[in-house]
Amino acid sequence: MMNTIQQTVYEAFGLAIQSEIPLPELPPVSHAGKNVDVTVRLASLSRWDAIVSSRDTNFSNQAEGFVFRMPDTATFCVQNGSTITIDRLPGVSTEKLRLFVLGTCMGVLLMQRGLFPLHGSALSIDGRAYAFVGQSGAGKSTLAASFLQSGYSLISDDVIAISYENGVPLVYPAYPQQKLWQESLDHFGQSSSGYSALHDEYDKFAIPVGDRFHNEPIPLAGVFELVKTEEPYASIHKLERLERLHILLAHTYRSAIIPRLDLKEQHFSMVAALAGELEAYQIHRSTTAFTAPDIVERVVQLVRSEHEARA
Amino acid sequence: MTNMTGLDQQRFVQNKNYIASDMNGEKVMLDVQSGKYYNLGTIGGRIWDLSAQASTVDEIVARLLEEYEVSQEVCKQQVTTFMGQMLSEGLVDIDDQGTSSR
Repeated sequence: MMNTIQQTVYEAFGLAIQSEIPLPELPPVSHAGKNVDVTVRLASLSRWDAIVSSRDTNFSNQAEGFVFRMPDTATFCVQNGSTITIDRLPGVSTEKLRLFVLGTCMGVLLMQRGLFPLHGSALSIDGRAYAFVGQSGAGKSTLAASFLQSGYSLISDDVIAISYENGVPLVYPAYPQQKLWQESLDHFGQSSSGYSALHDEYDKFAIPVGDRFHNEPIPLAGVFELVKTEEPYASIHKLERLERLHILLAHTYRSAIIPRLDLKEQHFSMVAALAGELEAYQIHRSTTAFTAPDIVERVVQLVRSEHEARA
Repeated sequence: MTNMTGLDQQRFVQNKNYIASDMNGEKVMLDVQSGKYYNLGTIGGRIWDLSAQASTVDEIVARLLEEYEVSQEVCKQQVTTFMGQMLSEGLVDIDDQGTSSR
């Protein structure tokens, strides 16, 4: 009987993920027989109790892997970019666990694999990927939803996994899911106050996007930072190199964890290389009128004319 | 430039608390402690590289004259100014380990 448990192998960020907890937002792996890249398992991590109980080391690199504790939830260990171990407290639901598995754990795992995780939405326009970053509430997800309505496909709506292969930045698609802001969804938020680094894992709810999802690696062609302004109309501004470096550093997913992963140098090199390569823009959008469809149209016009100018 | 004259005899050396990286030919620097970062540009980046070993302005100028088409006078003036800026930002330190270098 022991061997009859059938575990689904899922796919996200170009990785085949075998999990002991259900991850229903992830599609099953597309190529049968693909080797498993990542294992998610439930096991005791009590040997790290002392480490994760201390404020200084509750998120820290240990011999076994990157170990961290979410109070009232679980202790997690992310090892070698290939194993996520969860030691959950009694009564914690798998729904709650997977917020952290697909959030912080996946961010750490991607960094361990040498990928650069950017926080934001990525969309495919004419076969090229464009990343949309910004502070919480800037309107990334709303803009992404508007792109979807206009017929463009989603690559990621939270963690944008970027690899830099032979001088070409590529985005590995996340999973077909769109998160939208919902201020009233705060029954999780209560217990998370004080853990602001992880807060956004609670603050959104998910909408599946089905066939509007792009699931092949795709070259990253540009980055847009979305900022709220008092200006009455939306406008788009091209950014200089050092400003590009700034937005890539500022919008790195879970950037506070990077020093604790001992990956500062690797991260900075990757960001510098990307800043030298990618076009970047700032979208000023009005707080009074957020005209997402108008911004979609202007972004598409801009990237098409830039692409023609480069070709 | 009079306040820079004192720098003439000093040996400058990279502050190792910075991470340096390449941004399409330009040198960018990250201060590990503060998170501040800088773009030194192409030639600024070359001067930074030359400061890996404690060097005087004259030693750096001599190397740059081999690599770039520039007069000795202009080069020295600009390197002196640049070194003064790097020193005030803490990107380089005055080397007080004596004057010996390989």
